[in-house]
Amino acid sequence: MSAQYAMIIDSSRCIDCRACVAACKVANKVPEGFWRNWVKQSLPVPVAGKPGRGHFQPGACMHCEKPSCVTACPTGATYKDASDGIVKIDPKLCIGCGNCIPACPYGARYRDPVRRIADKCNYCPERRAQGLAPACVDTCPTKARVFGDVNDPESEAGRLLRANTNRLVRVVNTKTDTQPHMYYLAATAPLDWPAEAVIRPPMAALIKAVTPGVSALVGLAAVGVAVMAGREFLAGKSKDHEPRDRS
Amino acid sequence: MAPQLQRHNGFDIFIHWFNAACWLFLAATGLGLIDNPALNPLGNGYPRVLRALFGSGGNLLLAHEIVGGLWIAAFLLYLVFNLRGALFFLREVFSVSPARDMTWMLKKQIQMTMGEKMLLRLGLDPHLPPQGFYNMGQKAFAQAAIVGSLVIALSGMVMVLSQLTLDSDRTILVAWAIMLHYLAAGVVFAGLLVHVYMAAIAREERPAFISMFTGTVPEDYARHHHLLWYEQVCGGAAPTPPPGALPLDPSRGAAPAPRKGG
Amino acid sequence: MPDQSHRRLTRRSFLKAACAGTALAAAAGQTKVLSGLVAEAGAAAAPWQSKFSACDMCFNRCGLIARVENGVVTKLDPNPKFLKSRGMLCAKGNAGIAQLYDPNRLKYPLKRVGARGEGKWQRIGWDEALDLAASKMKEIGEKHTRCGMWFTAGSDLQSQFVTRFAEVYGSFNVTSHESLCLLSNNRAFLDTFGEVPFADVLNSKYILMAGANRFEALVTPDSIDLMTAMREKGAKLVVLDPRYTKTAALADEWYPIRPGTDMAFMLALSHVIITENLYDAAWVAEKTSGLEELAAHVARYNPEWAEAECGVPAADIRRIARELAAAAPEAMVYPGRRSSDYENSTQIRRSFAIVNALLANWDRPGGLLGAREVGLKKPGYDAPWYDDNPPERADAGRAPMMFEEDGSYVLMREAVLSGEPYPVKGWFVFKTNPMQTAPDQGKTRRMIDTLDFMVVVDITMSDTAYLADLILPAPSYLERCDPATALQGSSACACVVQRDPVVPALFESRPVFDILKGLAGRLDLAEFFDFDIETYRAQQLAGLTGAKEALEQDGVYYNPSKVYGIYEGRIYKTLSQRIELFNKRYDQMGLDPLPVYSPPKKGPDKALRLVVGRSAIHTQSSTQDNALLNELEPTNALWLNPADAAGLNVADGEAVEVASSAGKGRLPARVTPDVPPGLVYMATGFGSISPTLTHIHGNGCSIASLLADGYDAISGNAALHETFVTVTRSAS
Repeated sequence: MSAQYAMIIDSSRCIDCRACVAACKVANKVPEGFWRNWVKQSLPVPVAGKPGRGHFQPGACMHCEKPSCVTACPTGATYKDASDGIVKIDPKLCIGCGNCIPACPYGARYRDPVRRIADKCNYCPERRAQGLAPACVDTCPTKARVFGDVNDPESEAGRLLRANTNRLVRVVNTKTDTQPHMYYLAATAPLDWPAEAVIRPPMAALIKAVTPGVSALVGLAAVGVAVMAGREFLAGKSKDHEPRDRS
Repeated sequence: MAPQLQRHNGFDIFIHWFNAACWLFLAATGLGLIDNPALNPLGNGYPRVLRALFGSGGNLLLAHEIVGGLWIAAFLLYLVFNLRGALFFLREVFSVSPARDMTWMLKKQIQMTMGEKMLLRLGLDPHLPPQGFYNMGQKAFAQAAIVGSLVIALSGMVMVLSQLTLDSDRTILVAWAIMLHYLAAGVVFAGLLVHVYMAAIAREERPAFISMFTGTVPEDYARHHHLLWYEQVCGGAAPTPPPGALPLDPSRGAAPAPRKGG
Repeated sequence: MPDQSHRRLTRRSFLKAACAGTALAAAAGQTKVLSGLVAEAGAAAAPWQSKFSACDMCFNRCGLIARVENGVVTKLDPNPKFLKSRGMLCAKGNAGIAQLYDPNRLKYPLKRVGARGEGKWQRIGWDEALDLAASKMKEIGEKHTRCGMWFTAGSDLQSQFVTRFAEVYGSFNVTSHESLCLLSNNRAFLDTFGEVPFADVLNSKYILMAGANRFEALVTPDSIDLMTAMREKGAKLVVLDPRYTKTAALADEWYPIRPGTDMAFMLALSHVIITENLYDAAWVAEKTSGLEELAAHVARYNPEWAEAECGVPAADIRRIARELAAAAPEAMVYPGRRSSDYENSTQIRRSFAIVNALLANWDRPGGLLGAREVGLKKPGYDAPWYDDNPPERADAGRAPMMFEEDGSYVLMREAVLSGEPYPVKGWFVFKTNPMQTAPDQGKTRRMIDTLDFMVVVDITMSDTAYLADLILPAPSYLERCDPATALQGSSACACVVQRDPVVPALFESRPVFDILKGLAGRLDLAEFFDFDIETYRAQQLAGLTGAKEALEQDGVYYNPSKVYGIYEGRIYKTLSQRIELFNKRYDQMGLDPLPVYSPPKKGPDKALRLVVGRSAIHTQSSTQDNALLNELEPTNALWLNPADAAGLNVADGEAVEVASSAGKGRLPARVTPDVPPGLVYMATGFGSISPTLTHIHGNGCSIASLLADGYDAISGNAALHETFVTVTRSAS
């Protein structure tokens, strides 16, 4: 089985210190005002004497099984790498059309204001090449984030996933369930934040109308040409029209 | 050699074939730049093969952008150096006589696909209405090509500008540009299929095809196929070739005769 | 340093092994645990050099590895072998790069040319700067005795040299930042157990946390161990805090205790534990003294009485006492750190310490631990004697149990302002910012106006530096050689870290050691600074076998000294040589030998109590202008309970004017149930007056301008929570 890199998150360990956010910003030189990862919080009105009901939920690109960002990208600049399951961006192929940004239900993407192309978490390939964990995982004080190949039963992530199959929580928008590979253990909150994936009108038109329309038109032309060619070369050319043309 | 009429000058010939080469390359690379299971008009393998051929998707995009830029630049230069010719072309292409040209178009299509007998069977006069410098089929394709090219060029420039100057709040322009780019290219491509067949394959239009190399057409062909033009050039029905029609090389200075009437 | 040593080691896996008690053995053998992590791993040469250092963004000193690419530090990673931090690096640690490359850094020495606070500076050379400082110090010494110079140093590995310099120069007047922080807590535990403990949070089963916010005010390893204990070992966390902090939000139980009444709660715990005989009688009898006095003392402090004072239901107090006792000795009242809150804070914290003593948790797993042996030497020197000096520190005589080596900022300021007992006219400040960290900013400002000479050594132009006569640029921790320092990470480790420059010092910055050496040379004190840090470090490490090698290999040296039971056969450093429930010295000095409860002072009518707190993003007032951290937490707001807000007709986000006896300020209101009615809170360190701190100049409100300047009667620690403010809707 090919690899599927993923994060297993025990959000009950998260203290919202945002070390992961800072580490990511530095490691990936994320421009001011933008983030590749986050900590969401759920802080219901406190009640004295009860268990604290606060919950912090770290997140980032979920490297989905069915990534809606990939659907929204016309050029394949955003793609899910079959070899490791990571949703990647080819910076040389991306022209920054912005289609993928509203297509992500989790707000994981931003358009880099300097390079003017889409960007997001890529699990720190430069760090992994050196045997280091992604910056957010490496730095996390409470070890709330665990990274690894969930298809590898020997990896810590794989072990954790298998050990917790019945207590996994998926953070998704039910209308556009992208099947994230970000696995939350047991109770996590908040759950209501992912948005519905939005395929912008131009891309929707491209998928639903323009591509079939163009294919039909080209097909029609091809059929016409084929008929003409068939007539000319198989049925034999009729020369009799020529004099009439001259009328 | 049969008497010849001057039809295209060197600029026209150059720009036609330069355009043809660009289109071929841009269509091939452009189709390779679309890679999305919901689109992929030629299947998922095509973009993969093309990207492999160019080394990477990024290289493919770069090549497409460079050739696209050259294509636009060539047309701008063409306009600069052959403005009169360009204006003549535009005037001819966009002068449509609805009754005559639509009848021609309809009858020609029936004739080409189902044969002349069908025209008779339908109770139509098998004679086609006379046509000018361009027949309506050529005009229709030229119109599509001109409008399509403008859309393609402008939308292409928007896409290039996306990475150079456009801020995040303007990306919807780029998204629309992508859609329009593909739509226009698709429409032009559909017309191109017919154009290529008619011009390069159909035996009937062989002289026109040859004229895209030589610049001239046989008088006889002109009379048969572009009677109105022929009459304009030769002044009435007399089949005498105009003396000025003979020079084949426009660089020698003789203005091509047809343009006088334009 | 060899990268390969930690290339394929995950912190998690390492820590798992380490926690299992096989740390050092495992460290060597852990090379193949990373299956599945290394996607593109292989022969790829590292694009960076890796260099060990120890973080300086707060006092925790977490071990880290700096990644350097083409001479530029591009990333700071946790050192996976650094057990005290459990191999982590927090947001502040990650933002060390933003401090190093901060465009707002001081670049060269600056001499004030305009009026104080006018912000007019002249760039001067180092020789001129040091000549100026030395001549002023000489002048002040001759005119006012050498105690006329006051030295204040923040938390830094080189601060010891400021103390050394002060001593050889001849001034007793040295204050640390600690009298604005934890001195009363230290005092209380020292006066109960004979030393300041480390909390073995990792192994505790029941943690009662009051006056501490460990999930926001990060302390290593306590903050991390607390989560591990809770989630992996089932420890229970009960939090008492008027404010609904993130620690409260994650606790098993949280009580919004009335501010200033923690002692009532603790006395009631002692009451229950004693009256219900829930303590280990044999242990208490053997190790402690004063049980009878304590029993008599707390007889009146029953849970019902406490409920009336602190607002926590008596039944809960009783239950918590029983649960604590049942979990003892693996249970604790967490000692906490910053205790600069009330004017009786030493006595409040004594009540914490006493409950711990009754839980019999001293020197035992899951309890409070004494200092372990690290073995670092302290190179000595013989300071000269100056006959003309006054007999005592200038701040002496007002707080009976003030720490001689730390002093009291608040009391020293009074001494300077009044000129009593003797004039103090010069101030040397290193890497601390009393204008933002000390209460009553206006008073600090007035005090500075009385000075003849003030020099500040810092990385940026803090609000304190902005008022100086001379500003000297210091490098960040990544640019300098620092002495070795001993750290204890609770039960995790006793270790040594040190720093070598990761990159050369930027601009004209010079470490304070070099500055002091330069001054010593100009003041005929060269013999006391006739060394460099490398030789100093060698003296420190002398006799520690393998320490130098470990520091080179792993960035940290561990002394495998005994963790628990170190007091077996040892006496406690108290008058009675036992754990003192009843403090004999206090009794002799006329102080309450047992904590006597008095209700917190009430403010004027309609006034709200202002409290201080911390977040995990900023360190005191030192990081708010850091570009990265400022982006994470860009400003401050006044937390205001909805009931109070309604009464004041203030909506969430609206600007309010806040006024106290010390001063006033303006900032937006954050209307939230996370503070109780009658209490307001704001983050520290914003509303800077120094214009070069571009992120925070005029942004938010400085809490220092509002805090009142009370102090703990015993230790002289600041009493910041004795501040009452009136809040009004801002006119504009």
